[in-house]
Amino acid sequence: MIKKQLEIKKINLKDERFRTSYHFSLQKMKNSLKEIGLLNPPLVNFQDNHLTLVSGWKRVLACIKLSLSTLPVYVIEEKDELEVFLWAFYENLATREFNLMEKAEILAKLKNFGEQEKRIISHYLPLLDIPQTLSHLDTYVAFTQFDARVKRAITEKNMSFSSVKILAEFTSQEQNLLLSLLLPLGQNKRKEILENLLEISKRNDISVKDLLLSDEVKAIRNTETLTPLQIADKIRFLFRKKKYPAFSAWKDSFDSVLKKMKWPEEIMLSHSPFFEEENFTVTFSFANKEHFKTSILKLKKLSSRDEFSDIFKMK
Amino acid sequence: MEKAEFVPRKVYIEKQSLTLPLTKRVLKNIGQVPTEIIDDPQGFLEKRKISRDSVEHGKKDLFITRKKGEFIKPCPCTPQYIGCNYFVINLDLNCPLDCTYCILQHYLPDTIITITANLDELWKQLDVFLHQNQGRSLRIGTGELGDSLVLDHITENSKDLISYFRNKPNVLFELKTKTVNIKNIVDAEPAQNIVISWSLNSSRIAESEEEGAPSVKERIDAAKRVLDCGFRVGFHFDPLIHYPGYEKDYKDTIENLLGSIDPERIAWMSLGSLRFPPSLHSIIQERFPKTKIIYDEMIKGKDGKLRYFRPLRLEMYKNIVRFIKENGGKNIPLYFCMEGESIWREVLGWIPRRKEELEDYLSSHLGKTNV
Repeated sequence: MIKKQLEIKKINLKDERFRTSYHFSLQKMKNSLKEIGLLNPPLVNFQDNHLTLVSGWKRVLACIKLSLSTLPVYVIEEKDELEVFLWAFYENLATREFNLMEKAEILAKLKNFGEQEKRIISHYLPLLDIPQTLSHLDTYVAFTQFDARVKRAITEKNMSFSSVKILAEFTSQEQNLLLSLLLPLGQNKRKEILENLLEISKRNDISVKDLLLSDEVKAIRNTETLTPLQIADKIRFLFRKKKYPAFSAWKDSFDSVLKKMKWPEEIMLSHSPFFEEENFTVTFSFANKEHFKTSILKLKKLSSRDEFSDIFKMK
Repeated sequence: MEKAEFVPRKVYIEKQSLTLPLTKRVLKNIGQVPTEIIDDPQGFLEKRKISRDSVEHGKKDLFITRKKGEFIKPCPCTPQYIGCNYFVINLDLNCPLDCTYCILQHYLPDTIITITANLDELWKQLDVFLHQNQGRSLRIGTGELGDSLVLDHITENSKDLISYFRNKPNVLFELKTKTVNIKNIVDAEPAQNIVISWSLNSSRIAESEEEGAPSVKERIDAAKRVLDCGFRVGFHFDPLIHYPGYEKDYKDTIENLLGSIDPERIAWMSLGSLRFPPSLHSIIQERFPKTKIIYDEMIKGKDGKLRYFRPLRLEMYKNIVRFIKENGGKNIPLYFCMEGESIWREVLGWIPRRKEELEDYLSSHLGKTNV
């Protein structure tokens, strides 16, 4: 390995064979370069009269943004692609965390460069904090098939493995249709919408595309007064109802009884989770005897109403 | 797996089990199957986990080893629901049948079909256990972590178990199966306290979700043969699976069953609906991409397992119990596996309050009729 000053334009940046870092911001690197210059030269490989960048993508791209024409680099001359890739892998592994899509790209590249599956599972998966199973390897490698737009969204929103795994079950068109729904939501709600979509689709033999393009969904999407988050949430509730039709019907009946009875807000009447138990719970708070008596009196009056019996039909 | 008797692709034998009588018996029964002696069982099991489908991989081979620790345990049942007060003997682990809903895909850390060879230890532990529980009615069975009879042509364990329990009148001993591997049973002398039971389902579910298992009709025919030999039989409708038209299909199974088997000779029937821990969901999804059973309206129960919404379960149970009663099964003792008080009360009209109550109820039918 030798160190030399190199014209940036001589590096073939279209060759991303050894790249392990994606979708990063260059701002901090640019600031650093401006303040103290490039302390750690990137690594390039010289083969067949071509210079390929091995590691240091962020550094090189930041240099280009700053209109620098040359930079110091380390040069290796290695024929074996797997060996070259391991230079990039280990250098990055030692200095930073890989995000989910980067892990996927690394595993796919290890496979493409001829590393044995058994060795990837036993050696590399633990280095990437991934459980040592073939199924995990397959799943991560499948993530590399996402469109660039989807890959970027996964990285920028730091989507969880379980959500991305479900997303990978959908077609490219479905994934792109889903992005605007997923992006405003938090991790748990995102996962809920994906799980419910997959399950409704499998149960009812309807494609996810048809579900996403249904009139009900379109009507919500086209409501101009709603923010993207409100649209995503409304569609999430719609799919939840479709996933749990019987439970939703029970829940609606329960809520409508309370509404009909004008049940006071300060006294909470709740059913067990998913009506799994027959019992209902009443909760209210009080600061003194009078307050307590008032609530009890209200409950007494409520309990004498005919509609109150309807609640007990739901057990 | 074909519906024929299971023949392992290869048998691995833990070195220290090589000289045990059961190992010798297994090797004699399997004939010309390659074998390998294993010095380091832990390392061997770890290596096997690296496989695209380690569950399926595990179903092809056999591992003979010794069990350390307790053979007899109370049935784990499930928290927050009524328990069955049953004791399980854990002998064989895993199963060559490949049912989509099988909990073993998630439950056991090692996926290879495992035969426990140190039976001398089992008999010792059983002697102590029964001595500690003398005077108490007990229900004990195998079949919790593997089918009781699927390996019986290889192990012949049923012969030893029946012979051991035959003279233990306070014990109801049960062998649970989906197979028709009954040669050793029909050759054995029947006993009043031995129950051979079958897990049954609708024919549609048996065909689509119970790969490798005999048809419902074959199971009922096997039960009839065992009954004709003088044994008691039991049936487990578990897991009941909800799908459009399930009523007719389960009705057909029950009509066929009670048309072939005298209800008065049935020791018991249990009912349970599909339920599983959430982590099994993704395993089923991956291993059986065509199955739809995990996509029905399942909610998280009090025990954290996914199960059908209670009104759906209630409706199913009421229907099944009605079919049983309409077909002459009014007196068959029925019980639920992993259900709550409201289901017991609404479907069966009672709730077992004390530990012994379920025992008394289930053994009452055994005492009523003569073998």
